[in-house]
Amino acid sequence: MESRINPRDGFIKQNMIFMSGMLIAPVIACATSFVKSLALCFVFSLVSFAAILLCRFIPRTIVYTIRVTLYTAAAAAVYIPVAALARILFGEAVIGAAGVYLPILVTNSLILSKTETRFYLEPYANMVSDVLGFIAGFDIACLMTGLVRELLATGKIAGAEVPILFTVPALETTFGGFLFVGIGAGLFRAVYNYRKAHADADDEDSLADYAEGMGEFLVGKHRHEEREKIRIYKAAVKRARTENDWLDMEFLNNKDVLAAFEAIINEGNELVGADEGSGDENADETADDSGTLTENSESTGVTEDNDNADIS
Amino acid sequence: MQIFLNIVSAALVAIFVQNLVLERALGANVLLYASRNKTHCIGFAVAITYVTTVSSPLVWVLDTLLGENEYYGIFMPILYVLVIAFIYIVSLVVIWRFFPPLFRSLKKYVHLSVFNCSVIGSLFLCSQQGGDIFTYIGYGFGTGVGFLLAAYLLYVAADRLNSSLVPAAFRGYPIMIVYVGILSLALYAFTGYTTSAV
Repeated sequence: MESRINPRDGFIKQNMIFMSGMLIAPVIACATSFVKSLALCFVFSLVSFAAILLCRFIPRTIVYTIRVTLYTAAAAAVYIPVAALARILFGEAVIGAAGVYLPILVTNSLILSKTETRFYLEPYANMVSDVLGFIAGFDIACLMTGLVRELLATGKIAGAEVPILFTVPALETTFGGFLFVGIGAGLFRAVYNYRKAHADADDEDSLADYAEGMGEFLVGKHRHEEREKIRIYKAAVKRARTENDWLDMEFLNNKDVLAAFEAIINEGNELVGADEGSGDENADETADDSGTLTENSESTGVTEDNDNADIS
Repeated sequence: MQIFLNIVSAALVAIFVQNLVLERALGANVLLYASRNKTHCIGFAVAITYVTTVSSPLVWVLDTLLGENEYYGIFMPILYVLVIAFIYIVSLVVIWRFFPPLFRSLKKYVHLSVFNCSVIGSLFLCSQQGGDIFTYIGYGFGTGVGFLLAAYLLYVAADRLNSSLVPAAFRGYPIMIVYVGILSLALYAFTGYTTSAV
């Protein structure tokens, strides 16, 4: 089944700095100038991208409790050539000023947690574009943060004087960084919510159409035979449960889609009820499956709504 | 006595003056997760304190042996990650073998509390701080306690920060970060601050 994950999510909807807060320590403490932000983005992008691509080949038969150590070790190994290159490109002074905030990028949550919950559930090509979306989202937000903080704190951009009326030197500090990122996140979300509220009205019809199509596929494909319909329904529920990530985000948060799924489930249950009379021994199992699908669907939606703090 | 004083003073510096979260912003995202409930708050802080305290003597050995090397800075992350991984795996095996109920309750989030930027960041700060092995241990312990302090301060305010009194766009993550920023500002009273601005 085709992945429903939108590769642009990481850019805005799940932006690592302003929306989910997945990686904010380096931005708060280190992105105080454009050049330092650039160095941060350079190291983050290369380390994350290479580590995620490499770690995809780590067998998933190894338990995650152990696998996570391999992910971190792989990122730390990738860091060695990247840090050497960064020293050449940006100079010792910039890398020194970035301090501990470059090496800690080896434990960022894009590598440690997003891989498990998202990237490694996708086909390889989709994963690459998805990862690039997340990285681009982080890079742009980080560069903008560095640029604005440098301008407001020192009246300069990339070291060049800019005539502004006042400066806010406290923006160079950690607490200035917290306040800047916090207020920036609030404003970013306000704009996103506003745009989403307007876009949803247009999207609802198409999502409802999609759900209707799904319903037809799930229940109505083999109209000629009721027992076959039940079998397809069961297979679809199982598939939906194993590919929980596919039933994602905006799709499940849409009331029309949920209603459509409930209708499918009800129809399935009715079919099962009818089939019980004809002696289907798996009928009860089907009813359980349908209930579980509903629960999973709801919990996925809620989790995604509240998913504000991944761990790095 | 001198050893004890070294440990205590390093710990106090790590808790109040160079607080892992409030002064360095390390583990800010972990803090948001840990402050969701009291169990997470204490569980994360204990795990972080344990790993940083136990890892710090090993880090001191590495720093002492290899610190003079020109390329040590580039290799530090992988060496520190190996130290953390060693402590993590050995501890998990011991807990799994001798305290199975504890292992079952820990395994859900132990990896999250160990492999994050607050743990590896605190080891880098230990290294930056320098000193003897006891200073390292005290600083490692203090960073964990400092995390607990920050997490508890956020936990007690979490309900209000997530209430409907806060504008929807700022509710949750943004207002929590602003709140942590204000706590951070308060902590600057211990150290004062200087900027590069004229």
